[in-house]
Amino acid sequence: MNTSQDPSWEHLMRAANRGDQRAYGRLLIAITPVVRGIVRARGGTLGTQSGEDIVQEVLLTIHLKRQTWHEDAPLRPWLYAVTRHKVIDAFRARGKRIEIPVDEIAEVLPAPAGPDPFEAQDMERVIDQLDPRAAQIVRAIGIDGDSAAETGARLGMTEGAVRVALHRALKSVARLRERMIE
Amino acid sequence: MKTEELIAALAADTTPRPAPARRMARALPPALLVSGLALVTLWHTRPDLAEVLTSPTAYKTLVPALLALAALWLAKGLSRPEARATAQRALMGGLLAGLAALLVYALATTSLAEIAEILDTRDFSNCLISVPALAALPLAGTLWALRAGAPRSPGWTGAAAGLVAGGSAAAIYSLHCPHDPLMYFFPAYGTAMAIVTVAGALIGRRLLRW
Repeated sequence: MNTSQDPSWEHLMRAANRGDQRAYGRLLIAITPVVRGIVRARGGTLGTQSGEDIVQEVLLTIHLKRQTWHEDAPLRPWLYAVTRHKVIDAFRARGKRIEIPVDEIAEVLPAPAGPDPFEAQDMERVIDQLDPRAAQIVRAIGIDGDSAAETGARLGMTEGAVRVALHRALKSVARLRERMIE
Repeated sequence: MKTEELIAALAADTTPRPAPARRMARALPPALLVSGLALVTLWHTRPDLAEVLTSPTAYKTLVPALLALAALWLAKGLSRPEARATAQRALMGGLLAGLAALLVYALATTSLAEIAEILDTRDFSNCLISVPALAALPLAGTLWALRAGAPRSPGWTGAAAGLVAGGSAAAIYSLHCPHDPLMYFFPAYGTAMAIVTVAGALIGRRLLRW
């Protein structure tokens, strides 16, 4: 067993489902290169910025649909299925048709690791459309790296209220994105 | 926004999201209860209900109920993005094939004149309206539950939701309907359930996209 050294993705996701933020952050960081690899392999013509937009869209979808993963199932097939679905959807929305055979995904190599140099634009534009307080919370926690408690203290909200607002904001982001590309 | 910043925001959102099955357990029983109460108060149960339910005629209730259960299992399977739902599809295929065989048998053993006579009742169009009406709320509940899912095929998943609702509504309506021949069941119940299934597919295609 090497769970303490290098916990499996399933282990991290199960911990995430129990509210373990650090495990969840770790998992998202671990899967991002894989998602990016799939997007790059498919979207060579898109340019890195658009590509990173899609990566972020996939991550948001993984977040909002994570309850459809069953805890006794392996995570990778689920992850590939969600990514594949969202990548095809994103390309279709951008007026390109692509096909991704399921078997091929398993062979895609993760994009090289390293700091993420790409600033994606879409997400920023969508966050601008949120109500100001929601946008402030997403930015404080995402960009400034504040905790929910710190953000709450600054905005005069309880930590719980910040979490609820963040959850609603992320759902709105997904909805607004959908509308933006339709 | 950088991807790592998005990840930080996502990781901080630990609000649990209910799975489709949990939402189903929350939405479907009350929806079915309302439809059942509507039948009892607005349509009324047939007078010989107790007798009928212990006779072979109970098939009129059991077959739609079985279809609804199989469709529920199928819808739950289809709402997982990676699942192939092979067993669920096989069961549904088997049930539909069995019903097709039963239809052939009914057609072979009933003359056209008899069929015309069986269907010559105002209750026929009544059935085609009542079943979808009783299915409306269960359909809404099922689709709402499946919105939490991630189906690869929103249309088929919506169709399964439609059969959940149509099957259970037909089972409920059968407690009222006094016509028992197979050649009444297939044209009336079959068409009514098909209407709700198609409605589910059409709505699901839009509503269950993600």
